[in-house]
Amino acid sequence: MSPTVSLQRASLRYGDILGLSPTTFELPEGGGITGLLGPNGAGKSTLIQLLSGLLPPSGGEVRIFGEAPFRNPQVLSRLGFVPEGDRFPTGLRGIPWLRMMGELSGLRGSGLQGAMERALSVVGMELNGRKPFSEMSKGMRQRMRLAQALLHNPEFLLLDEPFNGMDPEARLLLMDMLRSLATAGRRILVSSHILGEVAQLTDRILLLFRGRLLAEGSVAEIRELLDRHPVELRIGAESAQAVARWAVEHDELVALRMEEAGAVLAVRNPRSFLPKLQAAVLAGELPLLSLDPLDLNLDAVFQFLTKDHA
Amino acid sequence: MPIYAPSLPPRPVLDQGLPPALVIARFDIRRVLSQRMGRFFGFMFVVSLLIQLTMLYVKYLLNTNAALSGIKDFANQVLTQGPEFHASILTMSGWLTSLLWFQVALVGGGLVARDSLYRIRPLMYAHPVRPIDYLAAKGLFAAGLPFVILLPFVFLPWGISLLIAGLSGPVSLWAPLYLLPAALIIALIMGAVTLGASSLAASPRAGFGWVLGISLGSSAIGGLLSGLLHQPIWMAISPQALVGAWPDLLCRVADPKLNWLPTVIGTFAHLVLWTFVAARRTRPSEAVL
Repeated sequence: MSPTVSLQRASLRYGDILGLSPTTFELPEGGGITGLLGPNGAGKSTLIQLLSGLLPPSGGEVRIFGEAPFRNPQVLSRLGFVPEGDRFPTGLRGIPWLRMMGELSGLRGSGLQGAMERALSVVGMELNGRKPFSEMSKGMRQRMRLAQALLHNPEFLLLDEPFNGMDPEARLLLMDMLRSLATAGRRILVSSHILGEVAQLTDRILLLFRGRLLAEGSVAEIRELLDRHPVELRIGAESAQAVARWAVEHDELVALRMEEAGAVLAVRNPRSFLPKLQAAVLAGELPLLSLDPLDLNLDAVFQFLTKDHA
Repeated sequence: MPIYAPSLPPRPVLDQGLPPALVIARFDIRRVLSQRMGRFFGFMFVVSLLIQLTMLYVKYLLNTNAALSGIKDFANQVLTQGPEFHASILTMSGWLTSLLWFQVALVGGGLVARDSLYRIRPLMYAHPVRPIDYLAAKGLFAAGLPFVILLPFVFLPWGISLLIAGLSGPVSLWAPLYLLPAALIIALIMGAVTLGASSLAASPRAGFGWVLGISLGSSAIGGLLSGLLHQPIWMAISPQALVGAWPDLLCRVADPKLNWLPTVIGTFAHLVLWTFVAARRTRPSEAVL
């Protein structure tokens, strides 16, 4: 079986700036979701621009369904794209916009009407699709964007930061939709800079950092990598000395910094350390007042991984 | 909100739908028609056309009604005659073309700029839409709009003149042969400038400013150079002057403001320059930045 997506040392330059270093990976044929994870400026959008046929690679090869996607109608007609951003022209209504996008995909007449009705029903927008975009919530607008990507029944869906700014309910709803589309046989690539978001959605992750594909694998494999990253925890306590005494007895401790109202602990493998901390608090060994993770954000993790790979 | 199991229609067969350029142009036309701005300009152009037709009828009365013979000489001095009159059908002494410039700036200024602002082009190019399709759609709209507006100004005075006075009417039987190409060239110049200016702008408002800036700014520079160097050909750098020159030349006005050579060169230069700018600025690589 040929893969849906295949990159062979594909790179992209914007003039002198390297947007994406030579990157190689494959997405298999058939349904499934892959998360494209990386902090802002990591090259996620650049990679998506290559995959959506907006730009040709500066080097290497990009293949979707076995063909180069750049200005290739045969590939573009099998691909659905939800770009980043949430702005629509003032006064624009959902249905005329959706109709135009359907016509650009080659649909017309009753076929277009049927496709619009079904796409709107898939995203749960049958009732609200006629509204102007300005009267829709952010979640509704995102669902309309997904509807336009589904109109022509694509086999491969590309979503660039689809969860940005969405409230938790709309986020869960969109995740459910994507899961059901993947179950129905669509290959989906979702970019995000939030690990938790992607982890909820997918079994497979591509990690990008500074234009490089840093890691590729399952969520569990990536988590293992992350566990090696020392996480800083600020522990507020009545006695900083008591916290320090307790912490030095544990192997996970990498560094310790005393503060006026507690201590900052740098620990490896927080998934094994945190249950021990919890047990100590419950047993009354630690006079804990507060717990504040300082650098659990993705940027810190990426910094760590980059150093690790250097 | 219920989630339905995905059930979508079969994928469309390529090349079965409308050409993408027509789809995008039609979308832009519908958007303009649904706006109040379109109604305002519609009203203004209808009033202009009515004034034009009234003037035509006055001319007809002056030539046929003996009761008006007393003021005929005076009226003939005030009203344009012969080729000048025919040329003025499209320009109305600059009023109509100025209104048209204002309209294309306001409507067309956002033509490409709106898509840049709302990042619509990356989405369009992710469909089977080539940059040439996009450019053709926008060009079709930008040039088509002034051309369609000018069509009644070409045909209505001509038709009414034929209707009320036959071949001896104020408008020549052959007038559309001169006025139609003039209207087409005017539309092409306005369309090209609008398209280029809008593609340079980051928002529709800025696009409006760019169109007016280019048309008024180049007129000011052209006027300055013409005055300083005592050579009227410098006015050919102004699209406004070119728009006024073509009806004069095609209707064979005795003393046109610009001669053929500078008008042809100026028009060609503007068409090439602004189409080139628009083509560069609407490439997919620009759309993603």
